[in-house]
Amino acid sequence: MKLRRQSLLTEPPASATSDIAFILIIFFLVCASVQQEDGRPQEIPNSDKEQQAKNPIRVNLERDHVKLNGEVLAMKTFRDKVGKLLAQKVNEAEKTVSIRCSPTVPYQRWMDVTAWIEDAGGTIALMRKVQ
Amino acid sequence: MILQRRQMSADVPAMAMGDIAFLLLIFFIILARVTDDSHVKVNKADGTELQKPQSKRVGIAIDTNQVTYLNGVRINPDMISDALYKPDAPPGQRGLLGDQPPGQRTVLLKIDKDTPASMFEPVIEAVSRAGGELHHVLEEKMN
Repeated sequence: MKLRRQSLLTEPPASATSDIAFILIIFFLVCASVQQEDGRPQEIPNSDKEQQAKNPIRVNLERDHVKLNGEVLAMKTFRDKVGKLLAQKVNEAEKTVSIRCSPTVPYQRWMDVTAWIEDAGGTIALMRKVQ
Repeated sequence: MILQRRQMSADVPAMAMGDIAFLLLIFFIILARVTDDSHVKVNKADGTELQKPQSKRVGIAIDTNQVTYLNGVRINPDMISDALYKPDAPPGQRGLLGDQPPGQRTVLLKIDKDTPASMFEPVIEAVSRAGGELHHVLEEKMN
């Protein structure tokens, strides 16, 4: 007499697939939204406010050097000097620093310089050539 | 004699739920891809004392090839100001920033650190003109 072996195959419950899929949805959505967006806020007034500042501090930013009110300075000296200049100013309008930037200056350098000015209490105003 | 009515059952097949959920999954992933700019390759500049943005309404990116994107879609930098705010348009069509109050007009700027000023300055100016609040996305400086 032949004995039939009992089959051991068990199917996973079909109702569980929806739960798995929903967990996958949540996983992918969370992954998509976890992009680092930390940074620095920056206030750049529009052109009307730029004109309000009568004698702004002038900064010329070049690829290899920086000028503060026409004087060529090393980066470290610039940071100290601009801090001292801004500390002497009393009202907000006087703390406007107008930046004229050479077209080849990289973003990293621009961010460094503007961050120093803002940390010293200055307000950035962009000066660009009208094309 | 009372005849018993045959009961009709209308169960939703549980097997189909998995398929529906997977379609939803694909739908949401595609949708998320359209609105974000995670596919844009940017080497972030570094900075200190970084903060979280107040809102995440609009994102502008300039990638390593100096191509400009607005919310993940390629755009001519000259068009940014109008895309953000059109004061003369009827309400509801005034651009991405529209009539949002201060604090809700944040524009995330994700710019490659080697981008020259000739590329990023017009973008910054356009955001400023549209009344956007700039938030430069940076990486914490390692000392």
